[in-house]
Amino acid sequence: MSTREEASAQGGVIRRMDELVICQIAAGEVIERPASIVKELLENALDAGATQIQVDLQEGGARLVRVSDDGCGMTAADLELAFEPHATSKLRDASDLNHIASLGFRGEALASMGSVGRCSIFSRTKTAETGHRITNEGGQESPVEQAGGPRGSIVEVRDLFYNTPARRRFMKRPSTELSRCLEVLQRAALAQLGVGFVATHDGRRCYDIEVGMDLSDRIRRTFGAELAESLVPVEADNGRFRITGFVAPPRFSRRDSLRQMWFLNGRTVKDRVLIRCLREAYRGFLVEGRVPVAFLQLSMDPTLVDVNVHPAKAEVRFREDRHLFGFLLKALREGVQQTDMATPGSSLLSRALVRDGRSLREMRASHPGQTALEPTAPRTPWRVREMPAAPLEIPRPAQQGAPPSAAPNAATDDLRGPFLQVHKTYLVRALADGFEVIDQHALHERITFEGLLRDLRAGRVEVQRSLIPEVVEVSRSELELLIEHRDSLARIGIELDAFGETAVAVHGLPARLKNPKAQGVVRDVAEIIARTGKAPDAEDVIEEVLHRTACRSSVMAGDALGEDEIKSLLSQGQALGAADQTCPHARPTRVRFTLDDLEKAFHRK
Amino acid sequence: MKVLCDREQLREGLAVVNNVIPPRSTKPVLENVCLVASDDALELLGTDLEVAVRYRVGEVKVSEPGLAVIPARVALDFIRDLSSETVALESADGRCTISGGSDSCELVTLDADEFPVVSRFDEEKTLTIQGGTFTRLVGQTAFAAAREAGRYAMHGVLMVMEEGHLKLVGTDGRRLALSSTPVDQPSEDIKPSILPTKGIQLFCRVIEDPLDMVQLQFGENQVGLKSKNAEIFTRLIDGEYPKYTQVVPSETAHIVEANADLMGRKLRLVANVTGDEARAVRFKVERDEIAMFGRSAGRGEAQAHMEVKYDGSGSSISFNPDYVLDGLKHCDQETLRLEFSDKSSPGKFCLGENYIYIVMPITIDT
Repeated sequence: MSTREEASAQGGVIRRMDELVICQIAAGEVIERPASIVKELLENALDAGATQIQVDLQEGGARLVRVSDDGCGMTAADLELAFEPHATSKLRDASDLNHIASLGFRGEALASMGSVGRCSIFSRTKTAETGHRITNEGGQESPVEQAGGPRGSIVEVRDLFYNTPARRRFMKRPSTELSRCLEVLQRAALAQLGVGFVATHDGRRCYDIEVGMDLSDRIRRTFGAELAESLVPVEADNGRFRITGFVAPPRFSRRDSLRQMWFLNGRTVKDRVLIRCLREAYRGFLVEGRVPVAFLQLSMDPTLVDVNVHPAKAEVRFREDRHLFGFLLKALREGVQQTDMATPGSSLLSRALVRDGRSLREMRASHPGQTALEPTAPRTPWRVREMPAAPLEIPRPAQQGAPPSAAPNAATDDLRGPFLQVHKTYLVRALADGFEVIDQHALHERITFEGLLRDLRAGRVEVQRSLIPEVVEVSRSELELLIEHRDSLARIGIELDAFGETAVAVHGLPARLKNPKAQGVVRDVAEIIARTGKAPDAEDVIEEVLHRTACRSSVMAGDALGEDEIKSLLSQGQALGAADQTCPHARPTRVRFTLDDLEKAFHRK
Repeated sequence: MKVLCDREQLREGLAVVNNVIPPRSTKPVLENVCLVASDDALELLGTDLEVAVRYRVGEVKVSEPGLAVIPARVALDFIRDLSSETVALESADGRCTISGGSDSCELVTLDADEFPVVSRFDEEKTLTIQGGTFTRLVGQTAFAAAREAGRYAMHGVLMVMEEGHLKLVGTDGRRLALSSTPVDQPSEDIKPSILPTKGIQLFCRVIEDPLDMVQLQFGENQVGLKSKNAEIFTRLIDGEYPKYTQVVPSETAHIVEANADLMGRKLRLVANVTGDEARAVRFKVERDEIAMFGRSAGRGEAQAHMEVKYDGSGSSISFNPDYVLDGLKHCDQETLRLEFSDKSSPGKFCLGENYIYIVMPITIDT
């Protein structure tokens, strides 16, 4: 007998699900893995006003998640309702939804946990003589009973998914689950200044943040000293929005977004608008596909943001997103430009050493005269474990070596020679603490690009007109596009006209271009217009148009440069400030080798 | 080969030939000079395959004619540092001995058959002008020729015979210099030729005395020049030169007469502030005055004023100061004339009797 027939024999196909099934289904949205429990319980603890939170985990949280806090606690009557779905202390009526200031509010968490694990809650309010305990195992609630314990709450979830084997199978190895739990905890620890956090796993302490630590200390404790010391603070306040935090130099960027953290009114968010805004701020400094590292706290009036968009509360919706975007972009861009963008030579050295297939340690060992110099300092892993493709992305072990020296101070660097041009492509010059290698094309391209952009923004595009127009052959379709956008091209300094049916005559190009190459510029621009379907001076393609224009008309690799030209190039680069560290395609313009790097390379250290 | 020559004359010849010889070449034989001793003369040959030179050393005594191919740079350096009046050259068995007084060196010679053939000057179809005039024409035009890649035909100086004048034209598409001189025996069947800038500049190096007459010979693929001691040839650029006559403005609305030297000084003054990055200097003309304005986003602004002769209604035009200064350097009269119509059409600088320099303005979109 099929299910359907069986059902109809009982008088209907559709039945009301029982409460447990509803909760288990709902739990799927809220509780996916131990880390979700950690997140929910941390939020509860923080909403309870805790200042010290301890998280105990066993087997990556699958065996046990226990969160103990010193918050306000709950009364016996509260406990009665704790496991009821949609029971919460945080919202009373619908109007509260418009100004949610607490972390949790949906009232689903405890009910969900109760349905998929063995839960117990002990709680004691500040004033009560004793506390109370309630348990819920797979939806079976126990009565509330008196129990002894410290002030605050202790919530335990044991044997997660013991009654839903299908979900249990989706759990990963304990080490993976543990790292996810710690990620959640780290985010909370970075978001909640003024709260101390301790985590243990299988009885061992694995994370410890003291109450008094500020954000920088917390980052140092969480991600190491090198990152913490390279961060540049960001701070801005326009009355409506306030942003504080840190941005990291581009070389710290990663493939994943684990180290980009946004905190909105103390809540961790992963919002697309914010992520896009940060990416925009790093535009031109990061290669495609890299995620910048930043820790940013955004505060605003809760009525300006809707956080009830997503069950995990990661996405939010802003009421004035355009204003916000502009405000953030300006503040972030300023911060990003102050970061140290030089590619540290030591990362290249370490890569070269690993590429040779031998670690420095092995080399030292094979060099008997050097063994006496073996450092007694803590052993740090020298070999870089994963070998990333781009040169920018070598994560250096945290305690190894000094942080890369800051960009040379414009006031003290007088650009004195001698300069060496290598392969008519690279310029080498000595610095006080080492030397740097500069890619002449990349640097000139950046200088030209910034100049073009500045002229355009100032509405002062100088056009050098042509005495004898250069004729550039294009296809018919390109010709149509170019003529259609003739006026916007003229606004960025490219003046052209049709010349027959398959060519344009270029009458003028930006005066800033040193070696203007009309053919390359026109073809590139036509290609961009055809691909994006946008006018060449539209805000989102203008930078690309100017990049290409600058690239086409800059000093090339292979151009021999005299001393004066080199000097002029370097001083123009210096005038740009930090922006001269990468070319507009985000390739580095210079690589710096410090004495420290050299000493390592020659095994003096 | 066995030759005795005056050291100074030999040194001068080797110096001229070394201008043509490439310092490093993929064909090592080109780094050498070929010595050719005939009955009463010693010739030095050098080439980089684009330009070739044949230099005749005066005051020599050839006791044994012959050939020797020796490293050009070393030979020049050694002979320059000798202190004797005369130098003896003697070659045999793959060695060439250079001796002066009690000092000598022995250089390894290369096989003379490997050395490229260098043409001889053909006295037919030639044009004679004074060496100094030719040098001036080249100086006044070659600087304006294009240097960067692309627009191949502009990488040289156009030489053309028209209306009894030898005209030289240099342009990079943004400015154009045109200088000419009347020629005594004009031969109108000389075809326009584009000479590579490097080649035509080397032509000037073989003209030792500006008062000497030189002969120009126009061939199918090359142009040659014969001076007192040297014959030099350059391969031509095969391309279509822009129709330069069309860009020379004939009627203009504004005509300014100014002291050339003063304009150069005032312009440099303003260009100091506009610097490397900003390009435009604005020339504002009003009754009997030019005011020049320059500004740079990073540095600031500058202005300069000078008295001129002008009685128009007032106007302004902006130029890249480097372009204008390049031309002023070659101005050969005290007063120049600037003619232009409006801020977006070419400015014409008349810098000499037969010398005009046209510069396209920079337009500023505000």
